[in-house]
Amino acid sequence: MAMTRFASSEASRGLLMVAPPALYALLLLAVPLAAIFAFSFWTQDFLTIDFTPTLKNYREAFSEPLYGELILRSVLIAGSVTLATVVLAFPIAYFVSFHVAPNRKSLWIFLITIPFWTSYLIRVFLWKVILGYNGVLNTTLQGLGLTEEPLTFILYNANAVVITLAHAFAPFAILPIFVALEKIDRSLIEAAQDLGENRVMTFIRVTLPLAVPGIVAATLIVFIPTIGDYVTPRLVGGPNGLMIANMIQTQFLKLNNAPMGATLAVIAMTVVTVIALLFIWLNRKWLRARS
Amino acid sequence: MSQATSATPPIVSLRGVHKYYGTYHALRGVDLDIGSGEFFSLLGPSGCGKTTLLRTIAGFEDISQGTLLLSGQDMRGVPANKRPTNMVFQSYAIFPHLTVAENVAFGLRRRRDLDKRAKGALVDEALEMAGLDGFGPRAAHALSGGQRQRVALARALILKPKVLLLDEPLSALDKKLREQMQNELRRLQRHVGITFILVTHDQEEALIMSDRIAVMFEGEIAQLADPQTLYRRPLSRRVANFIGTMNFLPARVNGDMLDIAGLGRATVKPDQAPGGMPSGDGHIGIRPETMSILFEGDATPAQTANGKVVELAYYGDMTYYDVLLDDTETPVTVSMKNLVGRRVLERGDRARISWDERSLVVFS
Amino acid sequence: MKGGGLRIYAWLYLVFLYAPIVLLPIFAFNDATIIAFPLSGFTTKWFAEIPNTPALVQSVQTSVIIAVITALLSTILGICAARAGAKYRFPLKAPILGFIMLPLVLPEIIVAVSLLVVILALGLPLGGWTVVLGHTLICTPFCIAILNSAFANLDPSLEEAAFDLGETAWSTFRLITLPLVMPGIVSALLISFTISLDEFIIAFFLTGTEPTLPVYLWGQLRFPQKIPVVMALGTILVALSVILLTIAEIFRRRGIARAGGKDTGGFL
Repeated sequence: MAMTRFASSEASRGLLMVAPPALYALLLLAVPLAAIFAFSFWTQDFLTIDFTPTLKNYREAFSEPLYGELILRSVLIAGSVTLATVVLAFPIAYFVSFHVAPNRKSLWIFLITIPFWTSYLIRVFLWKVILGYNGVLNTTLQGLGLTEEPLTFILYNANAVVITLAHAFAPFAILPIFVALEKIDRSLIEAAQDLGENRVMTFIRVTLPLAVPGIVAATLIVFIPTIGDYVTPRLVGGPNGLMIANMIQTQFLKLNNAPMGATLAVIAMTVVTVIALLFIWLNRKWLRARS
Repeated sequence: MSQATSATPPIVSLRGVHKYYGTYHALRGVDLDIGSGEFFSLLGPSGCGKTTLLRTIAGFEDISQGTLLLSGQDMRGVPANKRPTNMVFQSYAIFPHLTVAENVAFGLRRRRDLDKRAKGALVDEALEMAGLDGFGPRAAHALSGGQRQRVALARALILKPKVLLLDEPLSALDKKLREQMQNELRRLQRHVGITFILVTHDQEEALIMSDRIAVMFEGEIAQLADPQTLYRRPLSRRVANFIGTMNFLPARVNGDMLDIAGLGRATVKPDQAPGGMPSGDGHIGIRPETMSILFEGDATPAQTANGKVVELAYYGDMTYYDVLLDDTETPVTVSMKNLVGRRVLERGDRARISWDERSLVVFS
Repeated sequence: MKGGGLRIYAWLYLVFLYAPIVLLPIFAFNDATIIAFPLSGFTTKWFAEIPNTPALVQSVQTSVIIAVITALLSTILGICAARAGAKYRFPLKAPILGFIMLPLVLPEIIVAVSLLVVILALGLPLGGWTVVLGHTLICTPFCIAILNSAFANLDPSLEEAAFDLGETAWSTFRLITLPLVMPGIVSALLISFTISLDEFIIAFFLTGTEPTLPVYLWGQLRFPQKIPVVMALGTILVALSVILLTIAEIFRRRGIARAGGKDTGGFL
């Protein structure tokens, strides 16, 4: 029938068009992820891989306290980074959306995104320079007479990782919140004030709930890549600031134990996915409870 | 009805045209002949299939079933760029990266038989015809709504299509400009002599501009007629309701004799029941302007009825009264010109209505 | 001035954002090997040393070649996906497009190790092309995000109008679609180029004997005497990034203006 021919011709043109990127993602993302998953059930002895499926890697991952500690620390650090980044970012997004003249908004967003596009490695290294024992912050504080001794709690530990990552992911948090705030119809704010709410209560009852989608997006966008970050813990984290990505790298490149690395990667991915889904689920539930 | 078919040989001819989108039946068997040089309108509420029908003629939609002939040629398998039709889009679709002149000249690119100068002359001519003298070098994205509409017209008409298709071309304009463009479009169509097919949901616009109108509901043509016939002799209550305002009252029908609730007895001619004379229970339709309220000193006409004013709306030049006729349940609307010295009644006033059986339309 | 307190906070936040970047040129022109205050004097010798460091020059070349190829590949793939998403309805549309966007929310280390595993398992040699494959994978979603708005701002009746005026499907694409989405394409090219040039983790895992610039820098950060040169190079990179991004932003805005749309701000 002609109608099905037409429908299928549109569908086939669409599928043909989407095929190159889809096949690319299939070959270079789906296949490798499947391979990682398969690897996690195999074992390696030096350079030979034993293809017998086993849960040995998972048993080891769960029994060896170091792995658990690294994963827990990664989650905690990523959580702290996310919290710090989003809390610090919200006022900026709010300021740009509500207090900056419309024709200057693009400029502000541009100013906020520029640092993000400069070499990540060098930026992280510069935080090391700023936070170090003889670093910019300590010499400045001592020079001003605010501190006697250099502060040591700010480098080579989890604090340094949090500060550095909060800086690195700032635009990722600001932009989604900004977009959500921009979408708010300004007459809603006026309506709330017209109905007798003061500015604080208007913010709490109208602006904040409407910004929730942006906050959720910001949280996920910061949390997911942060938990797998490698550079920052290595450069400024010290031995107690290392995270799961560093261990995955060690397993693959230093210990030549790809199956264990794959197992840790699968566990890390699972943890990320579970936390992300849990977060989305809690959010949905909260939104539903409100409405 | 003599008006339902055009005198000249059809330039557009549809027979049993159906269109499905998946399981959705958008066009349900459309038969239509449109004559050369006609100003034809497809009128209906949104979702009635009028735009689908227009896009089918243009070649943007395939026909699921049935045939479409343009100047006698079957258009099956002929894509939009090979059809002798051109379209004015609802959004005007002015190419924003080109100037006005480049937009108008767009369709001439493939005309190898014309040199640059000949094309330039055609563009100038088209711009002048559309009232855009001197606008050629302007950037297209800086134009106002009315100007964009003119560019779209010039761009389509420069190709001298057999049929010009207009998809709600005036809906984006404000009221004053819309009325002005209605006149201009009508004049332009007479000037170029090309068949225009206009899609609109605005019944007033269709009445003002068209030679003939097809009223569409749910993918079917409910009535095809010239504006006067459509207004005076609607085929169904639904068409009557869509074109202007009409009051409906239940009536007992016995041959050509009626007994109408609130109005009383009447005799009608067969052509007053365009959808066929019912027998037994039926309805009559009567337009507000064919009734009037009688004031002291007015001559008493043959047919009158009594009632009470339950609501009124004062429009300045007119007053619309809702009058609840005695022994009826729904009020009828009566429109009155506000002539010098004529007073405006108030809510609750008794009113005496005059009416004329020749203005009745009988429905089942 | 509205929002007094907020305004002060916003400026402090900008100081926080720019603190590391401001230090970069300071130490690049500082006449001392140690990266610390107080400064000891002005010099341009660290810049002069860049061309005299062959490994550095080599890594810049490698990175630029990889970034150019990545930009081209990911923009072409991005055009396909954005076009399919904007114009056609087809089965499994949302899952397919969602899957292509997945690298955006996947930790890079996962992408890196999974690609590494497959490439090693297939016995293929690591090298510039493996980095290109990985970078194209993570750059494509960014290109799609940019191109989506370019294609979505395109009124579909523009293409229909060109077709109606006698053009073919291909000439319509060439005369109407391409010029109107060109600003989006240019900014997609620039963004993917910048991301590829700066990306470390995937390059670190997948690079062969010829390191990319970030991989080279990573090696240098361990040697204090090399750091001032790194600072000099970083200064040049920052300047280049700002120039590229300014161009990209100008193109993006022009594109929105040209398509008659409204500026909704930002690449992301």
